[in-house]
Amino acid sequence: MAEEIQKKSKSAFNFEQCLKCSICTVYCPVSAVEPDYPGPKQSGPDNERYRLKGMEFFNESLKMCLNCKRCEVACPQDVKVGDIIQAARIRYSTHTPGLRDRMLANTDIVGTLAHNFAPLTNFALKLAPVKAALHGVMGIDRHRTFPAYSFQTFEQWYRRHETEQRRFDRFITYFHGCYANYNYPQLAKDLVKIMNACGYGVRLLEKEKCCGVALIANGLSKQARRQGETNMASMRKAVVRGEPILTTSSTCTFTMRDEYKHLLGIDNDDVRDSLTLATRWLYRMIEDGKLRLAFRDDFRMKTAYHSACHMERLGWIPYSTGLMKMIPGLELVMLESQCCGIAGTYGFKKENYERSQKIGAGVFKQIEEVDPDCVSTDCETCKWQIEMSTGYDVKNPISIIAEALDVEKTRRLNA
Amino acid sequence: MKFDSIIIGGGLTGLTCALTLAKAGQRTALITAGQSTLHFHSGSVDLLGYDEQGQTVLHPLDAIRALSASHPYHKVDDVAARAEEAARLLADAGLLMDGTTDRNHFRLSPMGVSKPAWLTLNGLVRSAEEDSLPWRTVTFANIRGFLDIPTEFLVDNIRRKGTDVEVKSFTTPELEQARRSPSEMRATNVGKVLADETALRRMVEAIDGLEADGEVILLPAVLGVADARAESSLRQLVDRPIRFVVTMPPSMPGVRLQTCLRQAYQQLGGMYCASDAVTGGCFEAGRLRYVTTENMPDERFYADHFVLATGSFQSRGLMSNYRGVFEPVFGLDVDAADDRGAWTAEYVYDDQPYMRFGVRTDERLLVSRNGVRVDNLYASGSVLSGHNALKLADGSGVDMLTALQAAHNILKK
Repeated sequence: MAEEIQKKSKSAFNFEQCLKCSICTVYCPVSAVEPDYPGPKQSGPDNERYRLKGMEFFNESLKMCLNCKRCEVACPQDVKVGDIIQAARIRYSTHTPGLRDRMLANTDIVGTLAHNFAPLTNFALKLAPVKAALHGVMGIDRHRTFPAYSFQTFEQWYRRHETEQRRFDRFITYFHGCYANYNYPQLAKDLVKIMNACGYGVRLLEKEKCCGVALIANGLSKQARRQGETNMASMRKAVVRGEPILTTSSTCTFTMRDEYKHLLGIDNDDVRDSLTLATRWLYRMIEDGKLRLAFRDDFRMKTAYHSACHMERLGWIPYSTGLMKMIPGLELVMLESQCCGIAGTYGFKKENYERSQKIGAGVFKQIEEVDPDCVSTDCETCKWQIEMSTGYDVKNPISIIAEALDVEKTRRLNA
Repeated sequence: MKFDSIIIGGGLTGLTCALTLAKAGQRTALITAGQSTLHFHSGSVDLLGYDEQGQTVLHPLDAIRALSASHPYHKVDDVAARAEEAARLLADAGLLMDGTTDRNHFRLSPMGVSKPAWLTLNGLVRSAEEDSLPWRTVTFANIRGFLDIPTEFLVDNIRRKGTDVEVKSFTTPELEQARRSPSEMRATNVGKVLADETALRRMVEAIDGLEADGEVILLPAVLGVADARAESSLRQLVDRPIRFVVTMPPSMPGVRLQTCLRQAYQQLGGMYCASDAVTGGCFEAGRLRYVTTENMPDERFYADHFVLATGSFQSRGLMSNYRGVFEPVFGLDVDAADDRGAWTAEYVYDDQPYMRFGVRTDERLLVSRNGVRVDNLYASGSVLSGHNALKLADGSGVDMLTALQAAHNILKK
């Protein structure tokens, strides 16, 4: 590190490059609505100087940070402002997560429990007394609509169809994530449909764990690190087989590619380049002439694309939107890029609900003005937030591609 | 990915160029490593404020002809026509500005200093004369706890122009709420707090309640990230005439310029990569074939034409180390003194030689690398060598006019 600092002016998270220009605060969705949050410059590089002197300068107000990374997107000097804030929370916070935070953070354990009793869970989570109890006892806001749990997980569905998938001679490996597994297996099935039409079989990881984004956010970074190591070990096997590891969630992807290394110290160098969003992989295969998609003539849709924060940080919006623009019957309207306010488990917490809705107000208003058939976004928690707050359906670009796809024609083109 | 043109840099230059090419129907991508110095902008565009002897310029078009041969304006084929085009481009993006190329007017800095300008956002303080303001008395109504105006300097400098200043301050429930984070009482934050109708109405009541005596009320320019609607409502609702004083950066007028130009570009379908750094490119037979970026390391961005609009030292478009001054993206040829001692003058306010350093271009704004011209890579704006934008007050003008010129050179091909 000393050499990096001396020769290349590089410091951890590029901390020393901060010019104090304050551009990050212009784009912080939290400081716009929350006067008790000191803003990204203050919470990040400014106070880091004090924190380096002693942990008494650490302030729990940092938990108000959404980790949206819009400060990093804005920073002209490439300072990892959001990473500085999250790393400070991991390092200095003495707050021990309670039952609620542990439940929200353990999306896979809770998912397993909830889906086993899915009809009951879904029914119960809609009941006013249950919501009141969650609100009062647990601190999960009563206004929230919980995503429904699926009775059959994607993994269970997949096991029944695994032999069909083995018949192909080319494969991709799919990291489905908790959401596609427990809440919305249709998204995963949509990916399988597209891949199969293109002549690719779908494999799952030998062992898939939740990417850990919610664990990091809720102060459970040790558990996140363990899960991350497990994921990396399984992914390495796919890399050795020469298969890309595709995803349908921008946040899982961002976490495993960037946060694993920056925040959890997991070495992912050998996996990172193979791990990518399915939209990006498809776009690039099509552009390289290695794959072709054919779309239905009768498909018509007007969609408004919402740029999820982590998608913005990845810089991959052109891939998802570029892919959708290939559909002849699709009218794509780009919404002004703003945070929707949910930030994973953040908006579920009672103390954050109001702030979360204030942050998202701009997005909701734009959607109502555009009045599309559906909203599209690469992030599942944005989907919950926008569906709950606007009433519009929200679809992953992969689902829109699957819906518009002419399967037979695509199969012939790629035979 | 394949494009007709790729613009590297998302400030005033990059956006002007990208917008012009997209309007002409080109498939365009703009790649920018974070936000730009437009956030430090005054809300006024200058063409030429001072001549090379340091004298204030009243008629910029005449004075431009007298600039020394190295000045980038000499690579603009018709300065007057391009200036009109730049003014139209701003207006089309929803930026209502006042001023003409016939005669400079004077804008007011946050410190209260008058500076020559060509176009100024409608509503900001503007004067025909350098040493006076158009009012005998003004009321400066500041926001309580506001950090981005150095009030004493402002007031002192306005009084020196022969205008009497009454200083008042006001607050509203929304502003008091925001003050719980005193360090965040900055222009753009306050602007967000005042963004809804209730907050604006309360601001109007607070200003009316001041019983100001001045002929006009001066307010810090904190309203309107993306348009002038809030400013217009305020001017209609308050019963006294209002003018706005641009604040210390990040300034709301600057953010608005950035936002409006970017939106206009994106509405034309231009691809905008908000946070990606171009890491290098592949040169073949005197041409740049493609560039690569940090976020998409395995992607090649092909284009027929490229424009480098990465700015000067502050924006990392130019860098220096113990060996010399260099252009960090492609290692292009630069005009800069080899001798380190010749980079700087002794006093900070002197005419600093490094301000003239920049990328070397030919008469068509094409760059060179190891002495060989690159036939499809243009440079525009602050990355160019040959002038001191601080001393001449010509920074925004050079940005916009050379950006337009590069776009026209591309379209002519």
